[in-house]
Amino acid sequence: MKHKDKKLLSLRESWRINLRAIKLVWRISPRGMLCQITETVWGTLTPYVGIRLSALIIEELSGARSPERLKTLILAALISAAVFALVTALLEKARKPEMNDVIWYQTDSLLWVKMLELDYHISDDPETRKILSTIRQNMNGGGWGIHRVQGNFNNLLQAALNLLGGLALTLSLFTARVPKEAGSLTFLNSPLLILLFLAGILASTLLSSFLSTKADSYSALNSDVHNLANRLFGYFGFLGHKRHLATDIRIYRQDKICKKYNCDKTDAFASKGYFAKLARGPMGLYPTAATAVSILFLTGMVYLFVCLKAWVGAFGIGMVTQYIGAVSRFSGSIGNLFNTAGFMRNNASFLKLTFDYLDIPNTMYQGSLTVEKRNDRKYEVEFRDVSFRYPGSDDYALRHVNMKFKVGERLAVVGMNGSGKTTFIKLLCRLYDPTEGSILLNGIDIRKYNYNEYMSIFSVVFQDFALTDFTLGQNVAAADTYDAPKVQDCLKKAGFADRLEELPLGLETFLGKTFDKEGVDMSGGERQKIALARTLYKDAPFIVLDEPTAALDPIAEAEIYSKFNEIVEDKTAIYISHRLSSCRFCDNILVFHKGNVIQQGSHDQLVADEKGKYHELWHAQAQYYDEKASMYRQTAL
Amino acid sequence: MGKKEKSQNPKRQSDKKQHEERLQKKSLSERDGNETEKDSAEKDALTQKEPRQKPRYNMWQMSAYMIALAWREKEKKIILLGILLTLLSVANNLTGLFISPVILGLVESRAELSALLFAILGFLALSILFSAARTYTDRNWGYGKITIRTYLVAMLNDKLATTSYPNLQDDKFQKMIGKTNSAVNCNSAAGEAIWETMFRLLENILGFIVYLLLLSAVHPVLFAVITLITLIGYFINKPLDGYNYRHKEEMGAIENKYWSLRQYAEGQGLAKDIRLFGMRPWLKEVLAKTIDALKAFRRREAGVMIWGRIADLVLAFLRNGLVYAYLTARVLEGDLSVASFLLYFSAAGAFSSWVTGILGNLLSLHSQSLELSNLRECLEYPEPFLFKEGCPLVPDPGRAYELRMEDVSFRYPGTEKDILSHIDLTLRPGEKLAVVGLNGAGKTTLVKLLCGFYDPDQGRILLDGRDIREYNRAHYYKMFSAVFQNFNLLPATVAANVAQTEDDIDLERVRDCIAKAGLKEKTESLPAQYETLLNREVYEEATMLSGGETQRLMLARALYKNAPFVILDEPTAALDPIAEADMYCKYSDMMTGRTSVYISHRLASTRFCDRILLIEDGKLAEEGTHESLLALGGRYAELFDVQSKYYREGDTNHEA
Repeated sequence: MKHKDKKLLSLRESWRINLRAIKLVWRISPRGMLCQITETVWGTLTPYVGIRLSALIIEELSGARSPERLKTLILAALISAAVFALVTALLEKARKPEMNDVIWYQTDSLLWVKMLELDYHISDDPETRKILSTIRQNMNGGGWGIHRVQGNFNNLLQAALNLLGGLALTLSLFTARVPKEAGSLTFLNSPLLILLFLAGILASTLLSSFLSTKADSYSALNSDVHNLANRLFGYFGFLGHKRHLATDIRIYRQDKICKKYNCDKTDAFASKGYFAKLARGPMGLYPTAATAVSILFLTGMVYLFVCLKAWVGAFGIGMVTQYIGAVSRFSGSIGNLFNTAGFMRNNASFLKLTFDYLDIPNTMYQGSLTVEKRNDRKYEVEFRDVSFRYPGSDDYALRHVNMKFKVGERLAVVGMNGSGKTTFIKLLCRLYDPTEGSILLNGIDIRKYNYNEYMSIFSVVFQDFALTDFTLGQNVAAADTYDAPKVQDCLKKAGFADRLEELPLGLETFLGKTFDKEGVDMSGGERQKIALARTLYKDAPFIVLDEPTAALDPIAEAEIYSKFNEIVEDKTAIYISHRLSSCRFCDNILVFHKGNVIQQGSHDQLVADEKGKYHELWHAQAQYYDEKASMYRQTAL
Repeated sequence: MGKKEKSQNPKRQSDKKQHEERLQKKSLSERDGNETEKDSAEKDALTQKEPRQKPRYNMWQMSAYMIALAWREKEKKIILLGILLTLLSVANNLTGLFISPVILGLVESRAELSALLFAILGFLALSILFSAARTYTDRNWGYGKITIRTYLVAMLNDKLATTSYPNLQDDKFQKMIGKTNSAVNCNSAAGEAIWETMFRLLENILGFIVYLLLLSAVHPVLFAVITLITLIGYFINKPLDGYNYRHKEEMGAIENKYWSLRQYAEGQGLAKDIRLFGMRPWLKEVLAKTIDALKAFRRREAGVMIWGRIADLVLAFLRNGLVYAYLTARVLEGDLSVASFLLYFSAAGAFSSWVTGILGNLLSLHSQSLELSNLRECLEYPEPFLFKEGCPLVPDPGRAYELRMEDVSFRYPGTEKDILSHIDLTLRPGEKLAVVGLNGAGKTTLVKLLCGFYDPDQGRILLDGRDIREYNRAHYYKMFSAVFQNFNLLPATVAANVAQTEDDIDLERVRDCIAKAGLKEKTESLPAQYETLLNREVYEEATMLSGGETQRLMLARALYKNAPFVILDEPTAALDPIAEADMYCKYSDMMTGRTSVYISHRLASTRFCDRILLIEDGKLAEEGTHESLLALGGRYAELFDVQSKYYREGDTNHEA
């Protein structure tokens, strides 16, 4: 296994990024953050009152022992604790509906709403998906990234407040003077010693948090190893659960390779693996050292200093409990302050990745011309020397494409797999812009039109179309609310009328059982009809069908062909297929080959050209039918 | 880092609702700092408990099972380190309990300075020893636990990957399997967290006993009262904490909606449709509604939970008041030093948390055992097919086998209608058989019966005259090279995908099969050739093959297996005409000498076969060669006519 060496970001950069992240979280949930801050301030400062009161009780017990005063003090301690707890509970009640999972979902949704907003060509870019997937894996695996920001901020605040509270209760520790008769122990009064004491606390805190941050950085720096191991586990650990692959798994005995991966004790996380080795070494030793340092120096120095002073009579034992209580909180908070800073530093590179993703700009040119929804539906589309390359690819998917077609036509697009048919459609409806050349609508470059309006003139059923699990009506309308009679009409045209009548909830029927137990699972053919109804509902002048019959048997295929004209009415229809039989009823056929339009014309023209690609394609398929067909006709006669 | 991670609870809980792919996490999480471990362990217990469920194994049996598993898999360290950790925690707790009172006592009694220094340094040394050892042990404890959880996952995966195929259609089994996910999907899942629970329980019991013994000077009634108050608090809070569990369906619906939205927005499936049909505002509106619903839910929950807090603070008032009163009185009477006052006062609080800890961990152990018992029942689910008990079978690729169906009828469990009825069919050695018919006619079922994925309800299937049910089913599968519509591309090299193993790959044979499948040129143009990694789901830099190339790879894989029977279930649906024609020719060539069955709804593909079966409504409707079936002028001829009319010359005006 290869372990990439990552670098931490510079301090300044880390600070800048964390600040931006905090602002972002603040923007998402200002109310939640306010509630959280109030609760933290309250919850951090009030315990010092308890410490003070206990100290007074002890003081009283070891001194005057006045029952009256003890009663007052104990009641004060009990009542204040109860009141503080009550207020904390109320603050918590206000915070809960804003924080925890609520803010988690709000923050998480930033990531996918961004994906939703991105232009198609960016969202489809493997690079974009890879960034998002890495962000998610860092989140799920190590808990790194944007979800940690709020907690870090809170820890920072808490540590700062503890520092204040602790200081307030310990000031007198340094000012209380050891009486003269203490002899050599009067050196405890020396300001130099106090300075040394404070410096010692600071130094050991720094050392301890340096050590624990160091241990954490092993996680941050090895997130790639971590993520790969989780992906392998996610695959081989759960392959057997994939029911649709069950036959394949059995015939090829894939349980064996699963076992090999799953039972490998040298796997990154397993007992003889990479991280276990690290834990026996630095990943375990650093935090151990941090623990030892913090106890030795922090706890040890505080006890020594406080107890010595008390022993020589600088203050009573009530104050000893106060000082020890306060100083351990105080010194712990310096530790937390540095630990949190360390966390934030480690987290910065993960936040940077998140912001790199959130900052991806949309690059589609946004024109301003309106697309007239002409009643006469007179549109003409022209491709002028269009070439196109997918991002990250060296090969052209389309090369010098020139073609023209008018509205009302039936256009077929044929060609082998990978010849550029679907790319052609993606360019036409502006999911992508051409790398070179231009596409014109009524003589004007399509980039000059308002993007959303331009898109509104196309309705497409992609081969890999998808529906949501919301209601039938919402799916057809592609919106929350819909015009019911129009939806019904479209479903009827798409051949779904009979099925619709069988549904007791009609258009309110949920598709699938995800959102509603009463939902109905639709077959592939039914889903196709719903998708077709969706394109009709949109009522766009151009309607594109991308290989709609590949999964259908001959009868269903014939049914779609025969209804095609009726469905399409006066719209321009573009029909993509690699099954040439579907082209014969089209007026105009484009033949794609290796990214070029190599032929264009009617079926008769094209098939007559015996040297042409179309002729070759046609015969590759037709040969199976032709001779037998003629034979069949002979025998049938 | 695999081991220690902060992960916030909401994420973990929500992730449960996600689909499998998103679920599996192996690394170790630590609970969020805001919540004490006891709190959240208890909450987990309440949210996961299934009501009125009768598990086969109770919590003691499941604990024993886990310990035995760790022992068998040579992960004894889990138990040894667990015990060590328990002892260190209790020792650490006691050090912390005594340090202040003892030192204070020395100051109070103005003991010798050397005694004071000695006490401070002594406690310091103990504290460092226990804490540091505890930290180190804890950091090393996780990996054994992860390994055992992974073994649970592996065992379950193995069961599922090899179980009798009909089990996968068994609703009861599927339901049980569905529930296993939350038992193993992350570090805080039962399969790993049960160790923590077991040893926490031990720690709390130990602490409870030690405190009782050490603090015997205090009146036992005081301890009894503290215990009682703690119990009252526990039983007030328990039903309140159960709010989440009681409303889990409402919460589930909210989470479900969120994860579906995220899937829509982020998945590639809906990306084009979203943009072309302007679905963005719709999805964002649903998101806003979902977040509002979640807030409203949490607001109601907080409104209930606050009563638990109030009860807690009242009880704390009572408990502390009682302890204060009792201890103060004793100090005033003079039979207790101030240092002891301090000791007993903090001990009272700690004692109460031991009690809570015992109760909470018992509850967690119970609910975690429920989950693991379900998993264990899955592993022990009965197998209708014979495996190890069956006859062994070693396929001889050179030999011609005969496969015969005798009066076979079959229906899917829970359905009314036979999907196949009274089929008699002999697969002659070396023949090429085509099975055609409309979608839903029963073609795939026929093939699944032949391959031994289902057993017929009636009649028998015979391999060279012997009922296939008698064989070890896993051995029987060795008889088939198959290309199904759904196939699995392993995250491994090209060679490993062909050989279906990563060890002992016969590279010569891999090359040969790749060449025969027509993938040689492509493979050798790849950066690492036969060692090129595939499957981007796992390897982000993996090479993507096109649909046609993948088809060829699957063909190469079938060839490499070199089994006596070859089954092809519509492998060309996604191919273009030329590739399709090419594949047909290739299959025809490559099947020479083997018995093959080819399924299609595209009649053109039947051409190279020796015999064609037309299946309709679960029966063998027609049988013969392509020519004889056309001559028959029956259903086959009719279907062929429908499909071929678009290709027929001189019929261009066909438009409906």
